[in-house]
Amino acid sequence: MKGKAAYAVGYMFVVTAVFSTLVIGVARVTRQRVEANQRLALEKAVLNVFGDLSYANDAEAHRLFEERIEQRPDAAGAWVYVKDGQVAGYAVPIAGKGFWAPIRGVVGIDRDLRTITGIAFYEQSETPGLGARITEPFFRDPFEGTVLQTDGPPIEMVPPGSSLSEGQVHAISGATQTCMRLEELMNEDLRAWAESMSEREGQP
Amino acid sequence: MSPGAKSQRDIMLDGLWRDNPIFRQILGICSTLAVTNLVLNTFVMCAALTLVTLMSCLTVSLLRNRTPRTIRMMVQTLIIAFYVILVDVLLKAYWPDMSRSLGPYVGLIITNCIIMGRCEAFAGSNPPIPSALDGLFSGLGYSFILLAIATGREVLGMGTFLGYAVPYFSGPYWDQWIIMVMPPGAFFMLAVILWVCRSIRPKEKRA
Repeated sequence: MKGKAAYAVGYMFVVTAVFSTLVIGVARVTRQRVEANQRLALEKAVLNVFGDLSYANDAEAHRLFEERIEQRPDAAGAWVYVKDGQVAGYAVPIAGKGFWAPIRGVVGIDRDLRTITGIAFYEQSETPGLGARITEPFFRDPFEGTVLQTDGPPIEMVPPGSSLSEGQVHAISGATQTCMRLEELMNEDLRAWAESMSEREGQP
Repeated sequence: MSPGAKSQRDIMLDGLWRDNPIFRQILGICSTLAVTNLVLNTFVMCAALTLVTLMSCLTVSLLRNRTPRTIRMMVQTLIIAFYVILVDVLLKAYWPDMSRSLGPYVGLIITNCIIMGRCEAFAGSNPPIPSALDGLFSGLGYSFILLAIATGREVLGMGTFLGYAVPYFSGPYWDQWIIMVMPPGAFFMLAVILWVCRSIRPKEKRA
């Protein structure tokens, strides 16, 4: 009986060791690729919020990002789009709780610090077909040209079909939870960014 | 073939229809409900599950004479988890968009009762080739039901199939049933499919 138990324990150890080693091996081999994919998703999101930065493939996207996008200490954590030596816009990171899991994305802001030039997401796990449609052009495009409001929430999402005033975009029907959370996290991060930018401007 | 062993044809038919994991055994219902609102996602999920079931059954069967009975379930779980993690890592590395949209569901294949069920009921006491066949066809039996559910949900709920607009359902005369894309829609669709499949199943005597 004792021998049997010892065999079972030993067997489990050996089997676990073999399979774990294989999994660790595969994970190590692909780690760089996985990290590069995550990095690329972020870089593409940043490029997508500026209307005039288009790319044909992944390699071009990466090159464009390296060439045109800078991280500067005076941008309060945003990526800076540099065109002909001048600041052409900012990509402000937004992140927070979605309906199921975190939503991470970027909002493009013009150099006037008020007009949205685009919005893109690089991480979200919202309901496919409903909340996940925040990644589709029909939802993202109307953000372009919207001006952030200074009194009240910078951006407001209103029910689809209702008339829009300045600073408003249509939400997605059937994805109320996602839109409410997105509105909240966007406004929070955009407001914080605008505040630290205006503080910087006040300094000499 | 030893007496009492199932013929290959029986293994295939059982997995696909007579002993279908979804509508006969009612196994793997969690993923049936969770990942069936877009046909493409469902397709990848089914492919992953079929592959994992096939490989797990094969491995369990290869090790069946060495594995002590007392710890067989631990070993099976380990083997299933191994293949699921492999699939998950490979998706992350080579198909990041799909990996992102399937989210946690790939990892949850580990807990899919179909795989454990097939390992325990068949692969643990049968030679490798029939076991692999059994795993493959159970996976396929699961897949075609899931794809049927996903097709119904995507067409009725969004008016699209694999993302392409379907005539009539995407048009102005069809008011898209948003509830079909939401979790409750899966229950409706599953119930209808269970009912249909169980009704058309011939009333043959079970061996």
